[in-house]
Amino acid sequence: MHIMEGFLPWQWCALWWIIAIPFLIVGVIELKSLLRKDREYLPLLGVCGAFIFILSALKLPSVTGSCSHPTGTGLSVMCFKPYITAVIGFIVLLFQALLLAHGGLSTLGANMVSMAIGGPLAGYAVYKLLKNTRVNIFVTVFCVAAVADIVTYIITSFELALAYPAAVGGIMASFSAFFVIFAVTQIPLSIIEGLVLTLVFKYIVQLKPDLIEKLDVFSKKQIESALGTMTGVPEEKV
Amino acid sequence: MLENRKLEILTLIGLFTFVVLFLVISGQAGHEFSGSDDVGSEKIAELTGKPVESFTPLIPQYKPPSGEIEATLFALQAAFGGIVVGLVIGYWLGQKKRTATT
Repeated sequence: MHIMEGFLPWQWCALWWIIAIPFLIVGVIELKSLLRKDREYLPLLGVCGAFIFILSALKLPSVTGSCSHPTGTGLSVMCFKPYITAVIGFIVLLFQALLLAHGGLSTLGANMVSMAIGGPLAGYAVYKLLKNTRVNIFVTVFCVAAVADIVTYIITSFELALAYPAAVGGIMASFSAFFVIFAVTQIPLSIIEGLVLTLVFKYIVQLKPDLIEKLDVFSKKQIESALGTMTGVPEEKV
Repeated sequence: MLENRKLEILTLIGLFTFVVLFLVISGQAGHEFSGSDDVGSEKIAELTGKPVESFTPLIPQYKPPSGEIEATLFALQAAFGGIVVGLVIGYWLGQKKRTATT
């Protein structure tokens, strides 16, 4: 989903940077106040960030015959909301732009809008939608992670289509061309990412249910009933 | 036993399917497995009618001199993440054990 350095006209680079910067600023402020409030969150923050690092380094082959990487932002957006996720995403993208020539400084704004902001926001919307329903929390986590992943690539396609409308058919034609390259490749990867992150979330919940509860990711009742059905203890009737 | 390992089994099935799909597809001709980032860049070149080489960085950037170095840096990135995850999970496990015994 990285837009390579030099592949986006400077006007578009500027526009995406302008959209991305407020998220970054609010994210840094939120991050500071969160850590001032309670150092207990630091390990969880580390795990969420670390998964973005790991997953975005893995370039996996897909059914379309090209390779792409998952994003891993779903976990972070559920635990720490979109703004802080934007900051973590920024760090990963900066590392890749500076050392790996994956994306670049000028396109960092655009890449942030897709991977660090847009994708996580879509995942967050799914989370909000499913949070207070009877849906099992692990199903929710799966949906959030998969949606955050795939939407990231849809936004990349959209960014490129806006900058490079096709001569015939305009933005929509070029959007569908980029969509095939990025988003279709991503479908199987996002399913895998959903599964892996759900598994990770299960371990976090088993080890630190109080943290998840305190951050109000899920309610105590939801966590208990999910853990209960997993360990075979019958669900409490309310 | 099987009941509380449902998610693990599901994930393994997913990964297995993924690997099998990859093996089947890579057996067919015409798949290079290049990065979708590069395919995207080629598409931009095609749409604008300009060669890929004509897109020069707006801001000068470091480029890993070879695929080997790039692989090292990616491995470092993943390793760093792995260390943090292992550290924290281990820390939590230790914490849980200690509160369980006292």
